[in-house]
Amino acid sequence: MEPFRDDNDLIAELRTLRPRPSQEFTTGLDERAAAGFPRRSARPGSPLSRLSAWLRTLPPRRLALSVTATALAAVAVATVIVAVNEPGKDPASLAQVEPTAHRPNLTPMAESTNSHLQPSTASSGQRHAGGGDSSTIEYNAAPPTATEGETASGEESSGLEVPAGGSAGVTQSNSSAATGPFASEVRHRDVERSAEMVLGADPDRVADDSAQVFDAVHAAKGIVLSSSVAGGAAGDAGARFELLIPAAKLGDALAAFSSIDTVVSRHEATGDITAPTVRVGEHLRDSRAKIDGLLVQLAGADSDSERAEVEAELSAERHRAASLRSQATKLGRRANLSRVSLRIETGSGAATGGSGGDWGIGDAFHDAGHILAIAAGVAIVGLAIVGPLLLIALLIWIASRARLRRARERALK
Amino acid sequence: MDQTLTAPATEAPREADLAFDHLYRSSRDDVYAYVASLVRDPAAAEEVTAAAFERAYRKRSRFDPGRGEPRAWLFGIARNAALDELRRRDRQAELTAEPADLVSAPAQESAEASERRLALSAALSGLEPRERELIALKFFAGLSNSEIAAVVGVSESNAGTRLHRAVTKLREACDGAL
Repeated sequence: MEPFRDDNDLIAELRTLRPRPSQEFTTGLDERAAAGFPRRSARPGSPLSRLSAWLRTLPPRRLALSVTATALAAVAVATVIVAVNEPGKDPASLAQVEPTAHRPNLTPMAESTNSHLQPSTASSGQRHAGGGDSSTIEYNAAPPTATEGETASGEESSGLEVPAGGSAGVTQSNSSAATGPFASEVRHRDVERSAEMVLGADPDRVADDSAQVFDAVHAAKGIVLSSSVAGGAAGDAGARFELLIPAAKLGDALAAFSSIDTVVSRHEATGDITAPTVRVGEHLRDSRAKIDGLLVQLAGADSDSERAEVEAELSAERHRAASLRSQATKLGRRANLSRVSLRIETGSGAATGGSGGDWGIGDAFHDAGHILAIAAGVAIVGLAIVGPLLLIALLIWIASRARLRRARERALK
Repeated sequence: MDQTLTAPATEAPREADLAFDHLYRSSRDDVYAYVASLVRDPAAAEEVTAAAFERAYRKRSRFDPGRGEPRAWLFGIARNAALDELRRRDRQAELTAEPADLVSAPAQESAEASERRLALSAALSGLEPRERELIALKFFAGLSNSEIAAVVGVSESNAGTRLHRAVTKLREACDGAL
């Protein structure tokens, strides 16, 4: 038999060995091709696997665009969520604090609330166009702390002296059993409120703002304990007010102060003085009863020495009653009149954003920077979380591809 | 092969669809020949060929012309599909040039021609699997050396060298048999 003449002869013969598909198969495949290769069997895979299969069909550029758009959308959404819920940036923070400061009945425990409300400088909501202060200011609310001058038990550290010995002591013991150290059985609570506020103003607006402060105090039927207004350049000009505002109108007065100029900081505190008030009242009643008893005893005195002894005791008890009345008056004043310390400051940072409460271009830049900082923070946190996961997934994918490639090559061998 | 790959009737065929249509028309029988040489089973070859085209169709929009020839891309998919089939069946690919039910011999053929064909088939079976794959890609599927290189993952010169070595080996085996 004649061997192959050359490679061409061999190749020509080799091509005759080429496998050829059957007519039936080619016809069927052509039909499927014309129909766009519909899937032959509906795979009941999980949504994740279907998503994965769909992603695999996407062109790389489109996939990259989709991933980028999704990531940007996630960052944007997270930024909005963080910006809205940022501590101290939520306008609702004030609404959450103020009811605590104004509610007439506090919890049975002696309560002291110390709320520090501070707007972010130059934020878009910093300026007031007028009206309620809870609608536009952004505040930082600090956790409650004990008010200065009060002990943890609710008793004041000053202004109340518990008498030692005598019948009053017995009465106090009984009344403590009735009311407890926090006067928890008393339905009406006496709450002392105080506030500090710092307004930022341009130097040329200090006088005008001060006049508005007086007007607001007058409108609230408050008392100006002291005031000082100084003119001059930024930093030197300013004003300071020590005010007493009827507790019922404290919220309105603070809202009025807030609308005068830029609120730099605001601090409110409440303290429950029910227990000392009740205790002083009980001591006062005991003292009066004792005075009445001494008067009866004096009328029935038989000797001069006995009469002198009762009169001395009566005099001491009257002094004590006067002292208790004074304490009761002070406590009542503290409950009814809230002390407000108000300052108007000038200088850098005191009145950002211009005068008159307008939101300006500087505020816009500041807000934009703030939002970008939040977005960057969100992106960094997201990368810190997603990055390692993506890296692990990438490594797994690479290892899986390499293993598959090796397995395929082994299959060929 | 007169049909055109169609998208829904309301849409104009996209460029990728038209390109794939052309690729399908020009490569259908070649892909089958290559796959059949790998899996040695006509029924399995049909399944794998159909699966390969289906995979390629689903990925057609991901094909980047800048990264290679469409035929090389298609045969890469077909190769993976065939090797997956071989793995699934847990058997080695034993390339034979003339699987009993794959080659249709001409009805009227001289005894000498038939003997030459059998000798060639036997020589082809004696080659290494990778060498038989190169033969199939070159002479059954009609791929160029650069396309073969892309499919099997070697350089073009390496593919040419290997192919030449395989043909030489095949001829020597045939000469020895004849």
